[in-house]
Amino acid sequence: MQGTPGGGTCPGLSPLDRWTLLVFSFMLAAALGQMNFTGDQVLRVLAKDEKQLSLLRDLEGLKPQKVDFWRAPARPSLPVDMRVPFSELKDIKAYLESHGLAYSIMIKDIQVLLDEEREAMAKSRRLERSTSSFSYSSYHTLEEIYSWIDNFVTEHSDMVSKIQIGSSFENRSILVLKFSTGGSRRPAIWIDAGIHSREWITHATGIWTAKKIVSEYGKDPVLTDILKAMDIFIELVTNPDGFAFTHSMNRLWRKNKSTRPGIFCIGVDLNRNWKSGFGGNGSNANPCSETYHGPSPQSEPEVAAIVDFITTHGNFKALISIHSYSQMLMYPYGKSLEPVSNEKELYYLAKDAVKALHEVHGIHYIFGSISTTLYLASGITIDWAYDSGIKYAFSFELRDTGQYGFLLPATQIIPTAQETWMAILTIMEHTLKHPY
Amino acid sequence: MQPRRQPPPAPRPRGNCPGAPLLALLLLLVLRGAAAAPAGPQDPRRPQDAGLSRGLLQQAARAALHFLNFRAGSPSALRALAAVQEGRASVNPKEGCKVDLVFSTERYNSEEGEEHLGNCSARVFFKTQKPRPAINVTCTRLLGKRKRQQEDYLLYKQMKQLKTPVDVVSIPDSHGHIDPSLKPIWDLAFLGSSYVMWEKTTQFLHYYLAQLTSVKQWKTDDDEIDFDYTVLLHEFSTQEIIPCRIHLVWYPGKPLKVKYHCQELQTPEEASGTEEG
Repeated sequence: MQGTPGGGTCPGLSPLDRWTLLVFSFMLAAALGQMNFTGDQVLRVLAKDEKQLSLLRDLEGLKPQKVDFWRAPARPSLPVDMRVPFSELKDIKAYLESHGLAYSIMIKDIQVLLDEEREAMAKSRRLERSTSSFSYSSYHTLEEIYSWIDNFVTEHSDMVSKIQIGSSFENRSILVLKFSTGGSRRPAIWIDAGIHSREWITHATGIWTAKKIVSEYGKDPVLTDILKAMDIFIELVTNPDGFAFTHSMNRLWRKNKSTRPGIFCIGVDLNRNWKSGFGGNGSNANPCSETYHGPSPQSEPEVAAIVDFITTHGNFKALISIHSYSQMLMYPYGKSLEPVSNEKELYYLAKDAVKALHEVHGIHYIFGSISTTLYLASGITIDWAYDSGIKYAFSFELRDTGQYGFLLPATQIIPTAQETWMAILTIMEHTLKHPY
Repeated sequence: MQPRRQPPPAPRPRGNCPGAPLLALLLLLVLRGAAAAPAGPQDPRRPQDAGLSRGLLQQAARAALHFLNFRAGSPSALRALAAVQEGRASVNPKEGCKVDLVFSTERYNSEEGEEHLGNCSARVFFKTQKPRPAINVTCTRLLGKRKRQQEDYLLYKQMKQLKTPVDVVSIPDSHGHIDPSLKPIWDLAFLGSSYVMWEKTTQFLHYYLAQLTSVKQWKTDDDEIDFDYTVLLHEFSTQEIIPCRIHLVWYPGKPLKVKYHCQELQTPEEASGTEEG
């Protein structure tokens, strides 16, 4: 689902006119109250003298109320504005005409105006026209993120491109951002966020990181060296269906939204669906479980898309998968306690990365293999990556350690992204300096 | 919210307690500074022992802390885990798993810059037969008694003045925000949830309070606060979200009374319990 940049124009509410302010308040109240004003009009009447003015005041006193004054009768020569319900229009206009009161129609149909206004507000909220007005310290909807992606790619087209690597179960686009300064199929680094949809801090961190990369290229020597030799790929929303669901219905949804005939529960844990130790301990064959691995490895389109992309590319050297929460940096395996062959190297790399992270805001992360640090988990992303030959495969669990958990306050987005960046940079630098 | 210096939540593997005799031997290890340092508590040469034992100590610390918070019955004296200092475990396959440990705590609601650590020593018995862990725990004071009473009473008054928040939905909201005026409700909800989480913590399962999802009832006409609400607990090893209905009665200084009923999604049985602290 992609948004188009430069959406509808907002009717430009001028804050100057008190009348306009009244109108706006009315419309807001109406919108909130969900009332219907179809056919209602706002008439502007000019009273010539006191006599005509008192005729208007008579209208005010009518019970039941037939008009609603927006600008009450005050003095002759001052316009009088009144909202007239559709049902009363005929009578009121007849009254005005019979008494020689001149009037004009200010608003022909209030409801139409209300609808347009509501539409425009929603539109301008959703579709920011540039990434500079996008708030990096807020959580966003899928539409907002996809719109940001388009703007981002446009603004940095020299370095960034957007690739659709597949479609989700509910047919949403699966998008990847490619950061490249040239070359052809350079050794590459993969970063994914949001494989578990309720982990909102991960998408937010990914977006900030993307912005950081383009800002730092040419400024930060480490990042610049990395991008001179390697490409970076970031998948910001690895589970778009789940993510949309966390906004619409269930903030704590984890899995994707795939369904199968005859199966009562929805969704597969995308981080148990990979082809490495599939179906082992730490995954569940029960479709109703939060760690349901799915019917077979890569059965889920969201996982298959990544597998296909990375396999076809064939030159990925590092993979970083971002989750929350727990404050951990981990390497394979999750499927067993058996250490990987370069365990020592990964141990010391993780140690350095965590140290760099800690230096930013003093936050403590622990590190180690997934099975010994977190829990046994089979069919996970980084195990597959490692078994596919990607030596530097890491999984982050971002802030916090349980106080807010998945509902991490938006005020922590930027600090989290800042510290995580230092760890990611450490890993990328090591990958650059240890080609294989 | 100032992110606090957080304890390293250590590994938490499966099936080691009660376990085979060989495993039992392993667990008799005394570990020093097992999970204290953030910089790699894991010795790359012997990951397995360190991992297994550290996970168990973490579980014990969590259980002890939930129990401690419940027993204290004070929403202003809630504690969070800082770090496990040392501990040992012994396993009896028939009876269960006994863990002795020392750990440090900090205030759950610590202010920015504030770093008060209390030390606790505890014996936690994960029983095979009984549902909830038996706990003996003593801690050094984090807050002076008088100060705690004052803060509790302040909270109590704030709560009495709250307009019945029965239409309250979702604390925190989707964006992690808690309105400052509603913070006392959250603290009280957490206090009640501590009882639930104490009862449900085992050597394999541990919980966090994810969200307060509704207030069924908030009565303050009598002296006591009568609070009936639902929460979502997040169980970490299964990643399941468990809805629980909790009913508590609180008055500053008096033991907390809690009744609850949780919806277990995986198993057909539903867990429930009552307790007066």
